[in-house]
Amino acid sequence: MATAAGTSSISNTLTQSQYVPPSYRRSALIPLAFLLPTILVLLVMQVYPAVYAIFISTTRLRRGVAEPIGFANYERLFQTPSFLDGLKNTAIYGGTLIVLTVILGMFLALLLNRRIKFTGSYLVLLFIPWVLSDVVAGTMWRWLFQPNYGILQDWLTATFPYLQNPLFTDPTGSMAIVILASVWQALAYTTILSLGALQTVPHEVLESASLDGANRFQRFFRIILPIIRPTLLIMILLVSIRAINSVGLIYSTTGGGPGRATQTASIYLLITGWRQGEFGLGAAVSVVLLGVNLVLTFFYISLVGRKREAA
Amino acid sequence: MVMSKTARRFDVVFTHVALAIFAAAALFPVLYTLMTSFKSQGAVLTDPPTFFPQEWSLEGYQTVFNSDLLRYFLPNTLINSLGSSLIVVALGSLAAYTFSRYRFRFSRALELAILALMMIPGLTFVIPYYRMASDLDLLGTSQFIIAIYVGWGLPFAIWIIRSFIDSIPVELEEAAMIDGANPLQAMRFVILPLAMPGLVAAFLLVFVDTWNEFLMAVVLLTGNSRTATVGLYDFQSQFEIAYHVWTAACIVIMTPALVVFLALRKRFFEAMLQGAVKG
Repeated sequence: MATAAGTSSISNTLTQSQYVPPSYRRSALIPLAFLLPTILVLLVMQVYPAVYAIFISTTRLRRGVAEPIGFANYERLFQTPSFLDGLKNTAIYGGTLIVLTVILGMFLALLLNRRIKFTGSYLVLLFIPWVLSDVVAGTMWRWLFQPNYGILQDWLTATFPYLQNPLFTDPTGSMAIVILASVWQALAYTTILSLGALQTVPHEVLESASLDGANRFQRFFRIILPIIRPTLLIMILLVSIRAINSVGLIYSTTGGGPGRATQTASIYLLITGWRQGEFGLGAAVSVVLLGVNLVLTFFYISLVGRKREAA
Repeated sequence: MVMSKTARRFDVVFTHVALAIFAAAALFPVLYTLMTSFKSQGAVLTDPPTFFPQEWSLEGYQTVFNSDLLRYFLPNTLINSLGSSLIVVALGSLAAYTFSRYRFRFSRALELAILALMMIPGLTFVIPYYRMASDLDLLGTSQFIIAIYVGWGLPFAIWIIRSFIDSIPVELEEAAMIDGANPLQAMRFVILPLAMPGLVAAFLLVFVDTWNEFLMAVVLLTGNSRTATVGLYDFQSQFEIAYHVWTAACIVIMTPALVVFLALRKRFFEAMLQGAVKG
């Protein structure tokens, strides 16, 4: 139903084709035909399920029938300590991940942007973790920090004998492992986005600045940073969204444990909404997280918009 | 830049050392996994752990090759990934071409709406997809999960392909159309070859993403319809602390994605550096 309504309004709009040259350009049929499959897929697989998620979040399953219960799921959610802990963990995990990946990614991009040899090879090596699946990466890191036989845990114990618990069984330590693994995996992404941004900075500007006596730090903070600010912002947005919705890596490294130490809101969703079959509650979590994503996105748009007006 | 020769040389050395350290850190877990996968059951759990296997063994791989991973999970993953990435590139390039070359009322709004879909996290869809699939009796089918992946991949693919088509002069297709090509032919023979880096980048991104996808796969697929990542996750409970088996499975699963990445890396980097960063 939603599909039919959507496409008919599209076909109305298509009659206004403005492009001139060859005659069939004016025909509405071509853009319609070219776009129709995409629009259909997106309506059925994205728009509909997003609306459906909101609907499910206001229901409760009773004997296989979804009965409407208003906002009761949300009320329950915000009184559930494990969900609130999950939000806190998401904030700690996401915040640290953003700071580390953005700073390190920018640092690597600045190095890769210099005129030296082998930058292509370094880039390929840095990208290998990005190509790996979350579950493969999680399995690897779990093995590296295995409490008794993990090679990194072994080095850690040898270097810092006063660390009593293995990292993996320690609440703070396991969060550190999860963050380390995530930085390891996401760093290539922020590096290439930063590098792409750096390459848009005109060389002449930097050269004249350095002739005027600007040192490296002045050049970076006064010239490069303002130019690449929009890309930097979108990068921060993408990493935040990735962090909020990260499931596979955490789930396969620690499973949310020990206790609930690494159970982020997204892991909580997976455990309650799917493993325990609480569809309504799980959908409510997903709507809350969707809200957080949207707030971040609007915040980003307003930051970029303000910049454009100022420029 | 004004800099003494020694300072310049120090700079170059520092850059190489720093990059080499990060590259080594990126590679280390993978290499250690590779080494572990060649250890035998008895040699995996040694205290203190060793990096290289004392004796090279294929035990882990034998277990993996005799498991369902090779029989079902990898073929399933290949079908899902290849199917969805090819469909995304086909549909995405049609849509990107249209957005780049045609203006109609709301075309800009429609394009922005499609891009905005990227901001909806995959997690939002988990429970609706599960309910949709069970209502339609499509739980555990490739068709449904491919449809999901196509929906996820399309917005980004349109964005990235469009930026490449935008940089191709319109005169090229117009010349082809004057010579009698219809729009589909103009796109197929003029535009697509020139936009190839964008198509390759879109293909690679969707292929790698779906090859590695876990959330939807673990929720929707069961039994013999499971994919490699779900199979690997289940391995962890099936072969408890048999790290040589886990790591061998990791190596087997990562190889195809790595091969595709290495084969397409030049065009991929080109696209990521040029197209994907327009704020």
